[in-house]
Amino acid sequence: MLEVIFGNLDLFLFLLLMAVGYSCGTIAEKRHYKSIIRREKELIKLMLVNAEGHFADGAVNNSFLVSGSMVVSNDYFKRLLAILRNFFGGRVKAYETLIDRARREAILRMKEEAKAKGAHMIVNLRLETSTIGRSANKKNSVGSIEALAYGTAVVMNRP
Amino acid sequence: MKFTPKHIDENVNVSKTHPLGELAWLVGGMLLLALVFYLVLGVTADLAVAKIPIKAEVWLGEHFVASFEANEDEALRRRLQRLLDNLPADSPLHQYTFTVQLVKNEEANALALPGGHIVVFSGLVEQAESENELAMVLAHELGHFAHRDHLKRLGRGLGLTVAAILVFGEDSAISRLMSNLFLATESGYSRQQESDADRFGLELLVNSFGHAGGATDFFARVVKKAGRRVPYLLASHPHPEDRIEELQSLIRENGYPVEKSAPLGDDLLSETEPEQEAETAVDQ
Amino acid sequence: MIMTNVGSVPGKKIVEHFGIVQGSTVRAKHFGRDMMAGLKNLVGGELKGYTELLQESRQEAMDRMSEQARLMGANAVVNIRFATSSVAQGAAELFAYGTAVKVE
Repeated sequence: MLEVIFGNLDLFLFLLLMAVGYSCGTIAEKRHYKSIIRREKELIKLMLVNAEGHFADGAVNNSFLVSGSMVVSNDYFKRLLAILRNFFGGRVKAYETLIDRARREAILRMKEEAKAKGAHMIVNLRLETSTIGRSANKKNSVGSIEALAYGTAVVMNRP
Repeated sequence: MKFTPKHIDENVNVSKTHPLGELAWLVGGMLLLALVFYLVLGVTADLAVAKIPIKAEVWLGEHFVASFEANEDEALRRRLQRLLDNLPADSPLHQYTFTVQLVKNEEANALALPGGHIVVFSGLVEQAESENELAMVLAHELGHFAHRDHLKRLGRGLGLTVAAILVFGEDSAISRLMSNLFLATESGYSRQQESDADRFGLELLVNSFGHAGGATDFFARVVKKAGRRVPYLLASHPHPEDRIEELQSLIRENGYPVEKSAPLGDDLLSETEPEQEAETAVDQ
Repeated sequence: MIMTNVGSVPGKKIVEHFGIVQGSTVRAKHFGRDMMAGLKNLVGGELKGYTELLQESRQEAMDRMSEQARLMGANAVVNIRFATSSVAQGAAELFAYGTAVKVE
């Protein structure tokens, strides 16, 4: 039995990495989505638009720039899935949740910053996504993406 | 303007398929593709190899294995000649001009290279105890030439590796995985090819020496050295124990006489020891 | 320094434009962080080290931009945009640009 394991060490290591990547990745993703949805519901009252907005004279007390960002990477399992998908073409489902999570998290962090500073709304939201490091499919690379959200937080003069 | 916040539970940006299901589909498709490719390539390689004239192979061998031509080994040459003289008159092997080299290497092994080059590692000669045993190994290699196994192996292994690199790129993890797999499965001859070469070698041995003594000695020693069977999932080499059994049943079936094998000649014994500095390193 | 990414400062009036101001910084991730990120890459999830690194770098780019605006005599930067690009292996440029204005 031990001989079999040592003889096929590379194969077993690969399968182990796959299993670890899959289980940890799935658990982390579920937990993250749960927290995203909870916080989204909490912050839903904070108005967020990507229009510039026009304000009447004297309506605005203060305005400032807020931003939020997140760098995420895929797990071993999903990366393999993406590599395989690369061959056949089509929808790369393995990356859908990754980007979705990163972007929603970035917006949430921006909103949290705005709320902490007492803003009533965020106008002119801009979103950006960029890859950090080398391409995700190359070997030995730390492939990851950054989602950035920024906008202008506005504090109104409220009676 | 009225701002009405809405929260929806549906996520339109994410597909509903389960990742494991997707993996199954992808891997299944990949395996199917690889299987089809392997079969097509295998069949074409085998068909093409049978059609390649021996002259073309000799030309190929001259251009790619040129480094082997310089130092032919006289003592091994005489032994090979004895086998060649006993080939049937219509054997395709007569079209080759064989060369045989002794290469300094501890491993007890011999190789058949394209163009009629046989390489014998000095470890084999050192361990060999009889003329018959050595003749069996040489005859076995001649069997690979007779069946054109060396060309088939080259065709398949190279074809698959090149295909994997073309499809996935040189650097990607998957093509390294694939080429490792192919190297493991294609670097040796197949079980069928080995036993065909054994059969050929046995016949030639009996034709040359008049009996089948010493035919299984080499494998018996390999078994003793290697010990128990170590299973490797990716390997397809026949185990020496199986080959011994097969050879013995062949000897019984054909009623070949088994006599005492002749001890190794002095000309070879003296050669394996002092002269070896002359042997140059050969790319393996 | 007031910073917004809309064309004006809400609730205030722009009285003077000074033109484009920009700030940028190129940062490389350092060894320790990279190792941790390599480990994290196995199981997936947020690379906290990188998130912080990029936040710091972006703040630095903004500081440089506002310094430039201050030297121009502005008291606000409007229409700010961010850009990120990887310029070399393992290094990223964080870039911020906007219009320097005076508001009252």
